[in-house]
Amino acid sequence: MMTHRKSIVVLMAVLVGAGLLGLIPKLAVAQEAYPTRPVQVIVPFPPGGVADLVARPLAAAMEKILKQPVVVANKTGAGGAVGMQAAAVSKADGYTLMVALSSISVMPEVDKIFGRPQTYKMEDFAPIALLTSDPTILVIKKEAPWKNVADFVEDAKRRPNEIKYASSGVYGTMHVAMEMFAHAAGIKLRHIPTAGGGPALTALLGGHVESLSGGPNVSIPHIKAGTLRVLAGWGGKRLPALPDVPTLKELGYEDAEFYIWSGLFAPRATPPAVIKVLREATRQAVSAPEFKSAMEKMETPISYMDADEFKKFWDKDAQRLAKAVRQIGKVE
Amino acid sequence: MVETLQNLYLGFSTALTPMNFFYGFMGCLIGTLVGVLPGVGPLAGISLLLPTTFGLNPTSAIILLAGIYYGAMYGGSTTSILMRIPGEAASVMTCIDGYAMAQKGRAGPALAISAIGSYVAGTGSVIGLMLLAPPLAKYALRFGPPEYFSLLVLGLLVLGYMTGGSMVKNLAMIVLGLLLGMIGIDHFTGYFRFSYGVVALGDGIGIVPVAVGLFGISEILMTAGQSIRPEVIKPRLKDLLPSKQELRDSVAPIGRGSLLGFLIGIIPGSAHIISTFISYAVERRVSKHPEKFGKGAIEGVAGPESANNAASCGALVPMLALGVPTGPIPAVLLAALMVHGINPGPMLIKEQPVIFWGLIASMYVGNFILLLLNLPLVGIFVNLLRIPYKILYPTILMLCVVGVYAVNSSLVDVWIMTVMGILGYVLRKYDFEPAPMVLGVVLAPIIEMSFRQALAMSAGSYLIFVQRPISVIFFMAALAMILLAMKPLVRKGKDWRERLTKAEKDEKT
Repeated sequence: MMTHRKSIVVLMAVLVGAGLLGLIPKLAVAQEAYPTRPVQVIVPFPPGGVADLVARPLAAAMEKILKQPVVVANKTGAGGAVGMQAAAVSKADGYTLMVALSSISVMPEVDKIFGRPQTYKMEDFAPIALLTSDPTILVIKKEAPWKNVADFVEDAKRRPNEIKYASSGVYGTMHVAMEMFAHAAGIKLRHIPTAGGGPALTALLGGHVESLSGGPNVSIPHIKAGTLRVLAGWGGKRLPALPDVPTLKELGYEDAEFYIWSGLFAPRATPPAVIKVLREATRQAVSAPEFKSAMEKMETPISYMDADEFKKFWDKDAQRLAKAVRQIGKVE
Repeated sequence: MVETLQNLYLGFSTALTPMNFFYGFMGCLIGTLVGVLPGVGPLAGISLLLPTTFGLNPTSAIILLAGIYYGAMYGGSTTSILMRIPGEAASVMTCIDGYAMAQKGRAGPALAISAIGSYVAGTGSVIGLMLLAPPLAKYALRFGPPEYFSLLVLGLLVLGYMTGGSMVKNLAMIVLGLLLGMIGIDHFTGYFRFSYGVVALGDGIGIVPVAVGLFGISEILMTAGQSIRPEVIKPRLKDLLPSKQELRDSVAPIGRGSLLGFLIGIIPGSAHIISTFISYAVERRVSKHPEKFGKGAIEGVAGPESANNAASCGALVPMLALGVPTGPIPAVLLAALMVHGINPGPMLIKEQPVIFWGLIASMYVGNFILLLLNLPLVGIFVNLLRIPYKILYPTILMLCVVGVYAVNSSLVDVWIMTVMGILGYVLRKYDFEPAPMVLGVVLAPIIEMSFRQALAMSAGSYLIFVQRPISVIFFMAALAMILLAMKPLVRKGKDWRERLTKAEKDEKT
């Protein structure tokens, strides 16, 4: 009995001692400049997706600048909502960041339409930098009868709700972009949601739908191979890879502007000093040769914007998307 | 033909360079491991390793990742057979007869046959991939939502028709599974269904936690709940290898499973899971002694295990021939190419012969490595059963929790697994078979999606299902099955199901 009690006392002493020892480095750390330990970047989408493929080279480049490991963590589910919510509620100390896509502005708006509690708010995040942005393009099958957008619109007017398009999912990028255009052109198209960008492209190639609004990098190989054709792009200006393809804006559909962009975010309450370090690190990282070549290989154009400029861009983009989502409304 | 041989020479000279051989071997090894661990499936394994391939050249990267993919199909059967825990979703069917064999002391033959079946199926379908990829890919693309739906209807009917025991209980299990499969975001309207505000339930309750819970955890609870401790099965050396009879019985199921798996695997979507239960159903239907299924029939292991391997290879057909990511795993494989500046498309085979033929050759080599790797492992794995239950089961429990957590780093998944484990325990106490329920959970979202997509395509007209030839064929087959089931109503004599029930009764008495 005695030995038993003794051993407990010894154990307690050891534990308290260890606790104190553990505290000492912590106190010292508080004085040092950020970052003093590994930084985690949450990607709310699966590995191999756009956000993941941008986040990983960025993390590798930032690691060298911050002199601390930068680790990418994919936290997926519910179209990105799970990861974005996790990032929104994480500790705002600069050790948890997030690379998200344009869909970050869509979900809170959809929650509003359904009158359900918002999984996160856009105000939960402080923008650090815009990394890449890519307008989607309007792709059709090679055999389709339309030679240009005017043909397409005219046919759609003659046969409302007859021309089908596939999307990556309801309220996903491919859905919102197409509805933006449909609204601007005053036409009604039939929406076929699928389980993602890949299955949507498969549906178009198989001839089960007639059109879609897709990312240029995945569509261009099929355009080059002659199985698909492109009618127009959603950008503010023409794509360098497709100089002959007009933008919808040029064609008079002023409201049809859509980008799949990726940006770096931190939780709102992150201290300004930390944000400053991160902004500077990101600025250097996007011009690092390894990041540049990684984006070049994926044919994803870098379009870097620092926090303030990005904030303005994001606000404007979010307004456009919110408007489009409201126009779509509840899908029945 | 000459061209193919030349290309194959190019492929082998690529795949057999020391570097590529090493990555192929590593892929197979990691794949086996990923398959063996409950919870962690090929998708999680490939996803976790994708970033490490960024520094490799594209050929090595795809050889490594593809190795994990088909390697996982070999490993997946191990825990199914030994402990009734599916190592990944495509091994659910193997649990039934594989585990029954293990309980009879025939774990060795079951493991050996599934390795051999996997090898035959893997190699056979690489030949198919090599010779037929472009034309088959075109056929695959014709599979739209109506075709997919009709295939699934046929699949469910086959499942209902083939199951032994009480048909009512099995149907109840399928329906319960389908209902649970409804949880999650409605892909057509964006509504959250039955998620009660838990955002993590947006994607549904997930196949992995359900399968591991219903099978693995419930099995542990069952054993723990027995008043007499089950004897530890001590395998003898001569029980490690399949007998001549078992080998003979496996030849035809392996052949059928390979063909079926390859053809179904080509279809876009998560078809490799569907191929396993269709194969199981077919084997049971053609078997001369269907009453043995569920009690340790080698055919019930050989068929599905060959099918899932062939299907994993079939899924590469549209991916390589057309450059389209038809499912989550091909999407990650294609991403591995994209980061190297290779934009996959219909020209992939022509423009990147080194990658395509290198991969093909590496798969011949890889399947052989896997056979050499897995056959000796049979002895080691079987001996795991010697470990006393009080050590073995807590270890398995821990592995299940870690494995299920690791897939999404989600505690919600661990809770789902726990609840499913308890549910599985209760169900088994009342003699319900969990396999149809797991299949219901797997199939519900796919059936709903393809059905509603098809109707969206036709603006609500059901005629779309009879206007498309492939879909008509499947529905005709489904109709034939229903008519066959109704035959005893008009003709005297017993039909297959009745004979089966009778045979099962005879066996009991």
